[in-house]
Amino acid sequence: MAYSAEIKRQNPSCFVFLIDQSGSMADVFGGGEGNQKKADGVADAINRMLQNLVIKCAKEEGIRDYFHVGVIGYGAQVGPAFSGALAGQQLVPISQVGNSPARVEQRNKKVPDGAGGLVDQSVRFPIWFEPVASGGTPMSQALGQAKSIVENWLTKYPDCFPPIVINLTDGEATDGDPTSAADEIRKLKSSDGEVLLFNLHASSQRGNTIEYPSNGEGLPDKFAQQLFQMSSTLPEHMRTIASQSGMSVNEGSRGFVFNADLVAIIKFLDIGTRPSALR
Amino acid sequence: MEFFATEFWLPKSGSTDAEYEDASAVAKDKSRFAVADGATETSFSGVWAKQLVRAFTDKRLSVPIVTEELKPLQSKWQKIVHRHPLPWYAEEKAYDGAFAAFIGLEFCDWHSETGTKNIWRASAAGDSCLIQVRNDEIAEAFPLANSASFNDRPNLLCSTINGNGTCEVISKSGSLVTEDVFFLMTDAIACWFFKQYEQGNKPWNLLKTKDDASFEKFVSDLRSEKQMKNDDVTLVRVDVIA
Repeated sequence: MAYSAEIKRQNPSCFVFLIDQSGSMADVFGGGEGNQKKADGVADAINRMLQNLVIKCAKEEGIRDYFHVGVIGYGAQVGPAFSGALAGQQLVPISQVGNSPARVEQRNKKVPDGAGGLVDQSVRFPIWFEPVASGGTPMSQALGQAKSIVENWLTKYPDCFPPIVINLTDGEATDGDPTSAADEIRKLKSSDGEVLLFNLHASSQRGNTIEYPSNGEGLPDKFAQQLFQMSSTLPEHMRTIASQSGMSVNEGSRGFVFNADLVAIIKFLDIGTRPSALR
Repeated sequence: MEFFATEFWLPKSGSTDAEYEDASAVAKDKSRFAVADGATETSFSGVWAKQLVRAFTDKRLSVPIVTEELKPLQSKWQKIVHRHPLPWYAEEKAYDGAFAAFIGLEFCDWHSETGTKNIWRASAAGDSCLIQVRNDEIAEAFPLANSASFNDRPNLLCSTINGNGTCEVISKSGSLVTEDVFFLMTDAIACWFFKQYEQGNKPWNLLKTKDDASFEKFVSDLRSEKQMKNDDVTLVRVDVIA
């Protein structure tokens, strides 16, 4: 059965994140509050996804390298986007990511108070990426770089859980139609299944958020339609976990969200028993 | 009555002994036995599993378990976890708490107008299982009764006071006679046991007279043949001998 390979340190999988850093990302984000820019929304999304991925792999003795992670920024230039100790590296073990955020800030988080209410609790929140908005949107070029990283990974780990490529963008590519570059990525495969390509569309359009749709009807514009078409169908076990978490998904649901959160994708990954009480 | 108990354990393939997160315990007087399974996706869950089985066999937990009795264990767990400053990710994970499946078995006397009987009582949370074999047949299976009942999102006991809102601890009791055999098992081996039984086999016969080395080989072979999920494995076998 596809998408059933055990994710373990001896047979890790990989994530490649593509972050749109083009000038249009300075426009106001339709899914945020007030005048938040799309670049802010995307930086927040990538930071929270990395945070969740690190936490997923954390154990008492440290972070287990179940995944290696690459981040490609695309805007004025296209290339590895980690800063500080990880600068210039294409793929980094998740333990190094967790131990090398650019900075750690204090944030307030609402937590249950044990009596049915919520209280603020101060938590440390790691930041790897700051918002960037400059230049064009060379999405096809970025997808091409992701393809070569994943191809190289698959020669080393041909039996791994299929790599996952996550593209965070406002969808307005300036280097041509990215559809064929996306197809090329989705055609790559390990013995356990085809590479998964998921898209987070951060748009200036206001309106309802859309999560994991199974068809393009109701998507607000041509960019959303295009990114939906480029996205992989969610494998069965991810749909099962999504359903158990109360999300509305069906057989055709794709890894696409519009002005919404993709952090849940991290929770769909299975590295062992996960208590039903944890969301 | 007298009881003979044997404990077996093996970490997940690819993990070290130090990374084993199940636990088992047998009371010195052989009246209580327990197995627990710390959830992989939570941290310090091996510590929590160990605390639970020890508290049960030391009779600090009742049958059925009362949530209030977990509080001293939860405080102790917090102290152990926060003994040293934690990096951001470990702190975040510790906040959610550790989770573990649990099965505890007790043998005791039951007094009634007609006399005194030997009985067993058990408390369980999650997918660690108790199977009682009598006359070469399964007499009781608790809390799960077949291989289809296992999934990767069980209800588990949490090491934080606020984390047990959805966890249900259930209990059961039954009779006890000489030559009964009880198996307490964590999920991977319990699921294998049920599958074998559903195929018309008698898996209890395959778990006889094992030593540590033959148990390790037995489990390794089943993992290689994909008959058993690669997970920590723990088994306590209790024979009622007289």
